[in-house]
Amino acid sequence: MTKTYSKRWIPYILIAPTIVYYIVFWLRPVISAVYYSFFDENNNVFTLNNYITIFKDEYFKQAVVNTAIFVIISVTLEFLVALGLALIINKKFKGANILLSIALIPMALPAVAVGAMWSSGFATYGWVNSLLYHLGLITADGKIVFLAGSDFQSLMLIILIDAWQVIPFMMVILLAGLQGLSKESIEAGYIFGGTKFTVLRKITLPMLKSSIQTALILRIISAIQVWLIIVMIYGYRRIPVLLEEVVFYEEQLLGFYRVALAYSVIVAVIVSMVSIIYLKVSGAFEKEEQ
Amino acid sequence: MATLELINLSKRYGKKVWGAKDVNLKVNEGEFIVLLGPSGCGKTTTLRMIAGLEEVTEGKVIIDGKDVTYLEPRKREVSMVFQSYAVWPHMTVYDNIAFPLKLRKMSPDEIDKLVKEVAEMVKIEELLKRFPSQLSGGQRQRVALARALAVKPKIFLMDEPLSNLDAKLRVKMRTELKAIHHKTGATTIFVTHDQSEAMSMADRIVIMKDGKIEQVGTPDDVYFFSANVFVAGFIGTPPTNFFKMNIIGENGELHLKNEYIDIKVNDKVRKALEKYNKDEIIVGIRPENLLITDNKDEAIFREKILVVEPQGSHQVIAVELGNQIVKIVTPAFPKYSADELINVTLDQERIMLFDIETEKRLEGI
Repeated sequence: MTKTYSKRWIPYILIAPTIVYYIVFWLRPVISAVYYSFFDENNNVFTLNNYITIFKDEYFKQAVVNTAIFVIISVTLEFLVALGLALIINKKFKGANILLSIALIPMALPAVAVGAMWSSGFATYGWVNSLLYHLGLITADGKIVFLAGSDFQSLMLIILIDAWQVIPFMMVILLAGLQGLSKESIEAGYIFGGTKFTVLRKITLPMLKSSIQTALILRIISAIQVWLIIVMIYGYRRIPVLLEEVVFYEEQLLGFYRVALAYSVIVAVIVSMVSIIYLKVSGAFEKEEQ
Repeated sequence: MATLELINLSKRYGKKVWGAKDVNLKVNEGEFIVLLGPSGCGKTTTLRMIAGLEEVTEGKVIIDGKDVTYLEPRKREVSMVFQSYAVWPHMTVYDNIAFPLKLRKMSPDEIDKLVKEVAEMVKIEELLKRFPSQLSGGQRQRVALARALAVKPKIFLMDEPLSNLDAKLRVKMRTELKAIHHKTGATTIFVTHDQSEAMSMADRIVIMKDGKIEQVGTPDDVYFFSANVFVAGFIGTPPTNFFKMNIIGENGELHLKNEYIDIKVNDKVRKALEKYNKDEIIVGIRPENLLITDNKDEAIFREKILVVEPQGSHQVIAVELGNQIVKIVTPAFPKYSADELINVTLDQERIMLFDIETEKRLEGI
């Protein structure tokens, strides 16, 4: 009797440290952030002013739009390129491993380094122009002023730089998924009349569904939270995005700490909503054929 | 239904390793051919080259007189049953069977009719709406089979389709597969490493080793007229007993002799030995051709029993000659037991003689 009784508690005892850790270092800060976002910075009275400040801020709307554009274009672009690379590397041709190692390099770099590298690269006298000049693609007078484009062009430039860093991450997830697929199931596709394209569309990709879901959801969440690369290259408020605004309020302005908290809450709500919608639409909640 | 011809078919991996080398084979219409051999012998490689899944290094694959060596798999009109079944997990059983038909641009009515027809043939009518993850291994195998049947291929390719099933189901599916083959009459190439599977299903068996064909023949051919030492040793359980022996003439009689065994040969064997001009020879005797006798004079050796392995329908008796274990298959009765001294003779009609150097079987016997 006592034995089964104590056995019943073992799982809870084993999981307790993790739960304590989460409560202290995750749940408590989150709750206090949400709590303080509803209180005035100066006199600690309940207020909605922190939120109202944000919604009245002209940069907020811009940040939402920019973030949305960034997410849609960058996730699509990165997914397609990553999938292509994963399919190529999965062919296991000679040198596939070397290509894989090279492709993984950008992932190893921190965002700050990537930002620094490309902001020096895209400066008018930076190394990209210098490279193009040496390749004979531009003349000495024809330097491209990368950083002076319109807002949309700037955003595209950021998307390219970000893609450069993030594609390897998505590729690794997709590649791992591809390597776990039954080779014979795909071969059966060819035997039973599929062209390469049909087999990819009707057999490989559907079987890869769970990896694709993982890659996309992780990427969507991190894309909504993009900020550092933008700040590294353009500075604050040149191309406002959601998280950049949070940091801006928190770091660059005095006395707006609780506005920053409110902003974080908004970002968190947006991330959660987008994730849930994505998972619903992609059918991840459906029980997979039991 | 079609004919298949392989001409000098070879596959090289890297620079030196040959997966298959100079495979030559002609398969007649409606024939059930089994490629048999130990793992790594090139049987699966050969099958995959026929399917178009493996690039051919040299040689040709000809189906119905048409060279398909460099054709994509989908244009070869073959179908295949894989070892892992390879049913598509994201499609229902119905869709698994219907998908290849859709790719062939059949009308929905035709597809429906055909799916139901093959489902009935392999007895999976009730499972059509399920997903593969809801099926047992045996049921998945039937789905894979139905899918392969539905496309009415010129040639059926089967890559160890039964090896993932449990022993009992395997034997049952064997019979069913043979019955289906009988019904459809489709030319079939079946790969296996299980000799009893090969013997029980094949019209002809192709025995392979190290990428090369060792012998092609009916089950009886390869069993009773094994072309060489490898085939004689590979086919049959327990395996053939081999003895290295000297050929010695004594008082006008011819003997095959080694340290433990002395066989006084009959006229038939003597005739076969006439053309053989070496002193040593390899003698192969299948376990059922070694007979336990009471007559000491006709015994070729006399030895204590090491162990008896009862099998119900028969017994396998092992004796030790020097450091070689010799196996004898005898009827279920009379019973023998370990340490019993037995006299052993043989059925010379079934003796196999192999050249000591080439290991090829001597002709005329």
